[in-house]
Amino acid sequence: MDKLIALVPAIPVASAILIQLMAGRMQRRMAWLSVLATALTFLITVVILALELAGEGGFQLSLADGWGILISDPLSAIMGVLIAGISFIVHLYSIRYMSEEPGYARFFVLLDLMTASLLVLVAAADLLSLLMAWHAIGVLLYFLLGFDTQRQSTFRYAFWTFITYRLGDIALILAAAVLYHAYGSWRLDEIFAAIQAEPQVMSLLGLSATTVAAGFLALGAFARSAQFLLHNWLPYTMDGPTPVSALMHAGIVNAGGFLINRFAPVFVHSSDILHLLFIVGLVTAVIGSVLMLTQNDIKKALGYSTMGQMGFMIMELGVGAFSLAIYHLIAHGLFKGTLFLGAGGVIGDARRDDGVPKDDIYTFVVERRSARRRPPWLIMAIITLAIPALVLFVAHWAVSSEFYHQQGAVVLLFFGWVTGAQLIFATYRMRSENSGRLLALILFSFTVVVVGYTLISHVFELFLYPDAAFRSLIHSASSIDVLWFDILIVITTIVIVVGWLRTYYAQRNGKRGGLLAGRLWLSFYTLISREFYVADIYAWFARQLLRLAERLNIWLRWV
Amino acid sequence: MNDMLILVAAVFLPLFPFSMLFNALHSGLRPPILRALLLLLWPQVGLLIIDHNGLTPPGWLLAWAVLSSLLYALRALALREVGMWIGFLATSSWALIWLMLDQGLGAERLARVALGISVPLVMLSILAAGLERRFGAAYLGLYGGLAQSMPRFAIMLVLVVLAVIATPLFPGFFAMLSMMIATMPSAPLLAVAIGVIWLLWSWAGARLLQGLIVGPKTQAVDDLGGLGLGLYILLLAALIASSGYWLEAIV
Repeated sequence: MDKLIALVPAIPVASAILIQLMAGRMQRRMAWLSVLATALTFLITVVILALELAGEGGFQLSLADGWGILISDPLSAIMGVLIAGISFIVHLYSIRYMSEEPGYARFFVLLDLMTASLLVLVAAADLLSLLMAWHAIGVLLYFLLGFDTQRQSTFRYAFWTFITYRLGDIALILAAAVLYHAYGSWRLDEIFAAIQAEPQVMSLLGLSATTVAAGFLALGAFARSAQFLLHNWLPYTMDGPTPVSALMHAGIVNAGGFLINRFAPVFVHSSDILHLLFIVGLVTAVIGSVLMLTQNDIKKALGYSTMGQMGFMIMELGVGAFSLAIYHLIAHGLFKGTLFLGAGGVIGDARRDDGVPKDDIYTFVVERRSARRRPPWLIMAIITLAIPALVLFVAHWAVSSEFYHQQGAVVLLFFGWVTGAQLIFATYRMRSENSGRLLALILFSFTVVVVGYTLISHVFELFLYPDAAFRSLIHSASSIDVLWFDILIVITTIVIVVGWLRTYYAQRNGKRGGLLAGRLWLSFYTLISREFYVADIYAWFARQLLRLAERLNIWLRWV
Repeated sequence: MNDMLILVAAVFLPLFPFSMLFNALHSGLRPPILRALLLLLWPQVGLLIIDHNGLTPPGWLLAWAVLSSLLYALRALALREVGMWIGFLATSSWALIWLMLDQGLGAERLARVALGISVPLVMLSILAAGLERRFGAAYLGLYGGLAQSMPRFAIMLVLVVLAVIATPLFPGFFAMLSMMIATMPSAPLLAVAIGVIWLLWSWAGARLLQGLIVGPKTQAVDDLGGLGLGLYILLLAALIASSGYWLEAIV
């Protein structure tokens, strides 16, 4: 059974080699070879996951002594199914979508190699294999995004991705160097065992090795998962083929979440870095969402939506909800992949019919439909307050009596409440002919959101981290002082509630702010439309570096 | 005397400003075979001087080596002539061998390091000669579109550039990795500087590829022949296979 793990990346690699060798003879039929290989890979990953669920997993395969080690554990099994599944759909979709493109065979070769690299990454049990797979993904993505070799613009934006990923690659190498030096092994199991035995081995500048390594690992994850200031590449990669966008948003960009989960034994001894994850994730989630709302291009809006979602995922890791981050990246991968693959169809439909609903007077007078109404706001307010309380009660009863004492759980419930209430607020503004149905849908959505953050996270936690002592270590590492925690929750609640009330009254009374508020709003909008000038600053910096290089060359006579 | 010999070695494992000699020589040599020989032998001479005289690099020299490497990696960003690009990348890579000397590695292993760095540069040099033969110059942005006009040549160019900028599976990757691992505990700033150099190589490599392979087809030219392609594949496979040696050494 151990050989099953080797088959998982080996099949797509074999497919890539065969396609490259036989592309001339098989013409476009060779794409089906790639699809079949991915389907087979997917089936094997499903078998491995089933064995893990049945408690018969835990395979390990070493290609050499000390490196080339692949394992199957709950994390690699679940990620393997996600990657192989999404890759299979993307392969299938690409058969027709890419059929008119020159370089059809090259596309499938690159797609297969990318699938193999991703599968090695999630199954790697030593630092060297992990580093190689991590690097290879960045390089392959560069060529997949720059698939259209005729256009300079595709390569320009592919380069943004490449250079950001390289920055993350180097951070990961530095992390590996710190861990290897502190614990003397490349094998992850040996490193984690040594950390457990002696977590506070000193490293650099009086900091522990775990803190320094966690800092570098976090930087690697930030670059890969497009966290704020390292996010610019993500929304601009839309010049690449749509299937690549789907694969990237569904299975590559979320590797940051996987990395932090894989190195969870390092992060549990690095509370400060976990708090940093929370802050960076929060800033990214807010900025990504704000930028998404201002886009008028569907694919760019989806890009910024991914940035916001990745921020949310990193934030979850920061509050110690490691397993929830995995659930989040799986859910996000599935829905974002679907959205990207469907984006072309939506654009096509929108060209025929914009889908903007006619106003109320038109539907009432001309179409003789009944007037659309809003649900009563008092009921909405009661739902907003009652559902989280109900979920808290259910969680307390069904999940764990310790539920209230975990800060991470409270934070997540809080965010569940905020996002759910935001949903209610948005739907409250909608008018419907059948307000009862709308109300039922609101109730259902809100319950799904809040329950998703409590019960599902619990189920995932039991599967990914069965050791109760380790789970409690994660929660204690991510906790902050109770007083500060309470103050932060109260301040955030007040800000949100005041914001809602202000928006509600502004909507109801039709009032707009004064002249100053208008100007401030306009300045803010300008700032957002220029995407906070981050890309401009980077472009300026790059130009200065190139100018400096040029001047140096002239001064030194080009030798 | 030792300091004097180290300065002589610094001409062959080029440190700025001695590196200008190598680059002037490399630019001046036109025949591809002479360029290839120069790329293969130049660092080996430096290593021979060091090994023969049992020299150990002083601490101050390591910072000099990293700064020299950084200087040439940065300067490579603004280059358009492929031959010059090869010379600068060679200088930037070879300068880092001084850091490995500090680790007390054996002469044989160091010779292999230098060879692992030189071979992809030689391969690129031969490809550049092919471009000069076909287009009259190996120059970025002058014609472009090689992926359209010479797909086989373009694939080999991409793979060779990836080997030069030390991407995984090629020996350069493991050489850089072992250098960063070795310098991290004693001189973390040097390790970070090596990371920056690596990043600049990637940038320079991407600029080189974008300037040559991207764009519409400009003119009809002969692609790489079957023999040439086979030879390049064999050499690349040998390079990847030699990485096994590196992996064993690191582990």
